[in-house]
Amino acid sequence: MSAPSRTDAGRPADDDAVRRQLDETWRQAPGIWGWLSSVDHKSIGKRYIVTAMVFFILGGLEAGVMRAQLARPENSVLGPDAYNQFFTMHGMTMMFLFAVPVVTAVGLYLVPLMIGARNVAFPRLNAYGYWVYLAGGLFLYISFFLNTGPDTGWFSYVPLAGPEFSPGKRVDVYAQSITFTEIAALVAAVELIVTIFKNRAPGMTLNRMPLFVWAMLVQAFMVLFAMPWVATATQLLAMDRLVATHFFNPAEGGDALLWQHLFWFFGHPEVYIILTPALGFVSMIVATFTRGPVFGYPAMVLSLLSIGFLSFGLWVHHMFATGLPQLGQSFFTAASMMITVPSGIQIFCWIATIWSGRPRFSVPFLFVLGFVVLFVIGGVTGVMFASVSFDQQVHDTYFVVAHFHYVLIGGSVFPLLGAFYYWFPKITGRMLDERLGRWNFWLVFVGVNLTFFPMHQLGLDGMPRRVYTYLAGTGWGRLNLLATAGAVLVVLGVLLFVINVARSLRRGVRAGDDPWAADTLEWATTSPPPPYNFTYIPVVESGSPLWERSEELAAVSGLRTDVRDVLVTTLLDARPDSLHRHPPPSIWPLLAAVATTILFVTLIFTPWGAVIGTPLLLLTLLGWGWPHGRDHREQRMVEQTG
Amino acid sequence: MRPTRIVADVATLPRTVFGHRSLMWWGTLGFIVIEGSTLFICVASYFYLRRNFSTWPPEHVFRPALVVPTLQAALMLLSNIPMRWADRASTRMDIRGVRLAFLICSVLAVIMTVLRWFEFQSLNVRWDSNAYGSVAWATLTAHGTLLLLETAETIAFTVLLFKGPIEDRDLAGASDNALYWYFMSGVWIPLYVVVFLSPYFM
Repeated sequence: MSAPSRTDAGRPADDDAVRRQLDETWRQAPGIWGWLSSVDHKSIGKRYIVTAMVFFILGGLEAGVMRAQLARPENSVLGPDAYNQFFTMHGMTMMFLFAVPVVTAVGLYLVPLMIGARNVAFPRLNAYGYWVYLAGGLFLYISFFLNTGPDTGWFSYVPLAGPEFSPGKRVDVYAQSITFTEIAALVAAVELIVTIFKNRAPGMTLNRMPLFVWAMLVQAFMVLFAMPWVATATQLLAMDRLVATHFFNPAEGGDALLWQHLFWFFGHPEVYIILTPALGFVSMIVATFTRGPVFGYPAMVLSLLSIGFLSFGLWVHHMFATGLPQLGQSFFTAASMMITVPSGIQIFCWIATIWSGRPRFSVPFLFVLGFVVLFVIGGVTGVMFASVSFDQQVHDTYFVVAHFHYVLIGGSVFPLLGAFYYWFPKITGRMLDERLGRWNFWLVFVGVNLTFFPMHQLGLDGMPRRVYTYLAGTGWGRLNLLATAGAVLVVLGVLLFVINVARSLRRGVRAGDDPWAADTLEWATTSPPPPYNFTYIPVVESGSPLWERSEELAAVSGLRTDVRDVLVTTLLDARPDSLHRHPPPSIWPLLAAVATTILFVTLIFTPWGAVIGTPLLLLTLLGWGWPHGRDHREQRMVEQTG
Repeated sequence: MRPTRIVADVATLPRTVFGHRSLMWWGTLGFIVIEGSTLFICVASYFYLRRNFSTWPPEHVFRPALVVPTLQAALMLLSNIPMRWADRASTRMDIRGVRLAFLICSVLAVIMTVLRWFEFQSLNVRWDSNAYGSVAWATLTAHGTLLLLETAETIAFTVLLFKGPIEDRDLAGASDNALYWYFMSGVWIPLYVVVFLSPYFM
């Protein structure tokens, strides 16, 4: 069938028949094969989220073991070598396997629903991204369990990470597992940009896009311009170690500071790559729980854009201790202070929204309030670092550890947990328990402050980062014990969260389509959404489509239901422009990810890995792209045979 | 699910579109940005490392030979003529034109891949001699992976075009392949200037 038949009133004759056929066309094949070959953004988004949360728990456990080691002077839970691996694994896990992937995953799940699309723009690429990410994470953790975990810190400075001071394969594992995760992040970025640009529902002009979609768009562009730096840097490091190039070897004209520039040109935007989607979460939650659109939409969007731009001008403030020219230092001081302006504008807009609204203090909203408190504390210490003289005093001390945990936990984990409570009903069809959620919030909030606030003082007292123990005479014991006690509370809080999820999945209250009375399109469909997301592609007439019309949603018909038809719209105004047929499920993305893994892992041991892995990868890409089983019905055939 | 009110029918919209109206065009552009960044980083590292040497190339290293690299650069530029032809033929749905142009481009791509091997020889320095050698080799390798990918894709497309069956949208795909080709060949010109010519005047 082509377009559904319609009655004179403009209503499709038989919605149920349309849904049945759409379901037949879009659903994932049954069984393990169906799971492995799925290209549904929701299925991939969910496994992405679950995987990232598993890594979050692993990274948290590593932190827990480190806190146990530091709870008292000269403790013996971990030796120096194991401690080095633990703090490196913790940092890598949280940055590369949790923070970026989890927000990307939530974006991949939610963005198509929020913009009224049936799937992301390149469904197979999406599957490939997930498999490569999973392979990278497994590779890192298998190496760790084989006592080959990276041990030079998440930014692995040379010369420590070079071939001379780090023989063995630990740093190679570091370099290569970053390559895996960066590839995953980059393909997701391309995916999100094209989906947001070209698959928005008719009428969803740029100035009607939900703020979370804006946040994901800005984040995807930041990924696009930042991630190639670290991916290239780690390849150069791997080459220094494998084939004796001299990029970072000063004896042959190389430069250790080159590594720091390349790393931090990625590393600073990375913080905002993690933060920006969280700002999007906050805006969505604030709007829903104050029952009104966020105050100052244009200011919010411009703030997101300027954060994106400015974040690329800050990297050198990580390098103030390297003896840079004073003019350079002043420039980066100014830039570091400047970025507080758009961040501040967002905070004021949220406060204005809450002030003028009727806030409901449900769990998602509590996490947003927690975010504001923690992020402001982290932001204030961040501004302090912009001052070179202060920075040099506390460089590499626990003051820095305190600062970035406030920023990252406050700025990312709290909004994320709020987002979980907010969108869990949409993803699973069931509500998370509110009472457990409140306990979860307060335990984590108190725990985080108890863990990290004392670290400011420890840093000012001179306790350096990354020491596996300290002497009793330093006087650092009491505050460290306090921090460890806080960590116990955080662990309990996260445990409650896991229990809440496990219980609610089976026994949670049924959510219905729109349990929060929210305004964006994802709440117009069922919970969980069907494989095709919407029976008819909605038409958007304002920035809050579900608040404009309480009952009927305008929509377009005419997409075929027997093939995977999607609507492509114009970039600025989202006018319907063309129809595009999405590919069916495929195992090739998984095979391409396996070939990628073979290429990267063998390259650690021998340059011949390229000779083995590259043809394999090309072969799988060929299988991926080659047209299989053509459906000739909707395409005009240019020629039947050659 | 919310009840809906149908306000328009989109069944008559075109199914094959070219250029910025096509999803694949935007996807290709995304990968061009990523790979362009990688090459930019190689060039930035090249000039950053230059500061560590009093002469460039370093002492006891010959300047690069120019015959093969110059031939390659010329070929890269000229290869845009048949690819542009393929691009235009595809928008006209002129299958014969696209086929012939792709065949020519496939041959050119293979020649350029072989020439890349000799370009490494033309550098007159090994990757493990010094940082200069390392960064020159890395730049050539980074661009070499793009060349290899584009060669594989162009050959695969040529086989598909001759083997059939061919749909309208394959021709849109051919046009997107052309976009990547313009980038791959065009970006080589500044890289050629940096890697092969700049040692003569820096």
